[in-house]
Amino acid sequence: MSLSPSARRWGRVLTWVIVFALLGALPFSLPAFRVEQIAIWMTLAMAACGLNLLTGYNGQISVGHGALYGAGAYGTAILMVKAGWPMFPAIVVAVIICFFLGIAIGLPALRIKGLYLALVTLAVAVLFPLAIEQFSSLTGGGAGLTITTPSVNRRGAVVDQKIEFGSYGGLQPDQVKYFTVLVIMVLCFVLSRNLVKSRVGRSLVAIRDNETAAAVSGVPVSQVKIITFGLSSAMAGLGGAMYAIANGQVNLTSFTIAVSISLLVAVVVGGAASIVGPAIGAVLLGAFTDFVNLPEGLSGAKPVVLGGILILLMFFAPGGLVGLYKTTMAKRAGRRSSKAGSDPDAPTALVAEPLAG
Amino acid sequence: MNRTRLKRSCAVVLATGVILAGCARSDNSTTSNGSNGTAATGGSTPAGGSTASGPFIDPSTDCKNYKGTAGINGDTIKIGTIRPASGPYAIYDQVTAGVEAYFKAKNASGGIKAGDGKSYKVELVKGDDGYDPGKTLGEAKKLVEQDGVFALDGVIGTEGNLAIRQYLNDGCIPNISLATGSPEWGAADKYPWYISGLPSYATEAHAWAELLKKQKPDAKVALLYQDDDFGKSYQSSFKKAIAGTNIKVIAEQSFNPLSGGTTEAAVTSLSQSGADTFIVGIGGTPCPQTLKFMPATWKPMTFISITCQSKIALSLAGGNDVGVYSAQVTYDPSDPADKGVPAVKQFVTEGQAGGLTQSQIEGGISSAGWGFAALFAKALEGSKTVDRATVMNTLFSLKNASFGLLRDGVTVNTNGSTDPWPVEGFRMVQRTADGWKEVVPVTNYEGQSNSFAVKN
Repeated sequence: MSLSPSARRWGRVLTWVIVFALLGALPFSLPAFRVEQIAIWMTLAMAACGLNLLTGYNGQISVGHGALYGAGAYGTAILMVKAGWPMFPAIVVAVIICFFLGIAIGLPALRIKGLYLALVTLAVAVLFPLAIEQFSSLTGGGAGLTITTPSVNRRGAVVDQKIEFGSYGGLQPDQVKYFTVLVIMVLCFVLSRNLVKSRVGRSLVAIRDNETAAAVSGVPVSQVKIITFGLSSAMAGLGGAMYAIANGQVNLTSFTIAVSISLLVAVVVGGAASIVGPAIGAVLLGAFTDFVNLPEGLSGAKPVVLGGILILLMFFAPGGLVGLYKTTMAKRAGRRSSKAGSDPDAPTALVAEPLAG
Repeated sequence: MNRTRLKRSCAVVLATGVILAGCARSDNSTTSNGSNGTAATGGSTPAGGSTASGPFIDPSTDCKNYKGTAGINGDTIKIGTIRPASGPYAIYDQVTAGVEAYFKAKNASGGIKAGDGKSYKVELVKGDDGYDPGKTLGEAKKLVEQDGVFALDGVIGTEGNLAIRQYLNDGCIPNISLATGSPEWGAADKYPWYISGLPSYATEAHAWAELLKKQKPDAKVALLYQDDDFGKSYQSSFKKAIAGTNIKVIAEQSFNPLSGGTTEAAVTSLSQSGADTFIVGIGGTPCPQTLKFMPATWKPMTFISITCQSKIALSLAGGNDVGVYSAQVTYDPSDPADKGVPAVKQFVTEGQAGGLTQSQIEGGISSAGWGFAALFAKALEGSKTVDRATVMNTLFSLKNASFGLLRDGVTVNTNGSTDPWPVEGFRMVQRTADGWKEVVPVTNYEGQSNSFAVKN
């Protein structure tokens, strides 16, 4: 029962077709607020994808990507609310700012590795909400910023209408929001995949696995590491910008250290060093947070349950869910090839690459 | 073998498609609004609003996708509420306990008799936003779109109620008896689906200023305020009320309720300012904590917010609550002076029937929630048909009404957007060891609440 390479490719294509069919059908079978929740998960998936580039593929640990996500969100909100910019320029500039923020963190990060880098990025994540509170005249402080535009309501009064997607072509606003975010998220992932499969991508991994060897082989290590930090931050910032637009408001309570940790969780649960892993992780984490409801007395125990699940997962699937899938496939292929004797079509065993540290 | 796989996959795709087509949602979402797309473009064309002679709300002109009887199932009405059941403001969950107890007691005795002659039982669905306005909108949407509530009642938190205002007003969903008195709720011409259950903080600040003008016309005031719309409304209205007098604010500190910190540093700083008056524009548990942090050497004339008045809250003040001033609207079941009042006795009996414990009944917070639920019942009682618009119109045309534990003498009159505040009367009291001493009898500021606020 071995598969030819073309059949395997068919199988993969079909899997993607099914996935996109499901993704496309969801907004038509769930109530509006659920669709909007899923759109928010997708913005986190974008940020997780960026984090994965940096941590999974390039080996630089960041526990501060929640702050970059927040910087993208607040940057967009501030430009639109305080400076009156229209949406697209605000998003673009916010993402560029995040890119440079990433470079700014990436420069000193050249000198610190591993645990120390994690601590520094942790500090960034903790400082972010405090900085927001400090500059409250710009950021709205504890009350946050609502992205509004003045408009006249049905009673003839001028109100600040929260920025919203209108209904385009028969789609409801929440569905338009969903598909916009979906398209941008897919673009992010496709770009990441192309990057990873290119020569630059190989140099990322080379640096992660053995920096000295990479340097000796002619990889410009410092430049690659800094640019990766910048790109990864830009992607997190893009996720944040989409969050600001999709949510219509930003509050500093949405960008605490918890977000940075959630992003790491998403990457690890989904599978670091795989492109699709962070998306899977973000979706599962989002589903657990928003869709799962514990009975009333236990509602405070949700983080405990999540922690328990994570611990179990790390025992049985240290390479995340994608890693688990790859190992299972490899085992099955190995069993098949040992049964059928030598089989020229048997795939080589794929070993899940654990998160380097 | 390839073909079998292919066939299997196609079958899965087809099956998925069929299932999802069957699950296609009926679009009962109420989030549609008139505005197009993004930034620059304006909104819907105005439909002229309502005239002075017609009802305050007319769903045919004011609403798109109006669902007047959503949440009504036979003789049960489902309503929702949102409160912080976790975090430093979780003390306010006691308010919701009062709301719940009221409906439980009424349900047990046959329901609430509405103006259409039928008796309705009320089912309360509760959401928890942890006092975080970033979460309130999600909770509201869940209540409206998943639980299908008829209205919201007793929702706690100025910022939270602000976060959901546009969503509810666009969907023509009543938000009744908000558990906050932000002056924002005076904008009933713009947001007619909101009516507060508390007096305006601007009116409250005005009452403080009136007392100060009499007792301490040259007061030097230290002001501590929450760094959000709740605290800032006290700050701006108080300053407006003292404009042109000799009362001066000589020191100010703000406090972020979501910071996880305390007001201790701010209080220490203010205590060294030389002020002889202290305004505490803080809510939740941080309010009595603020009183506790006051050094023994600093004895200013202290004012606390109406949201801080309860026995439960003040018991956390370490004894420093004695002597503070506040504007009081309701009877206090723990005050020996109020225990004999018929309304209080009725509350004690019915509260027990509704499941409140003795400490909750005396605590003073649940009685506030009791009042918020009572206002909803009042709306039902006065509505000849029970639908969302009629219920709101009833609330905006109250005449000499009363509800819950409002003190005798506090008048309740509303009139659309000219007088959107049900409660506008206070008496000023000073805290004693176990109750309150009246300093100024009930004064009503009918129709003036919006004039005390600072327009921004």
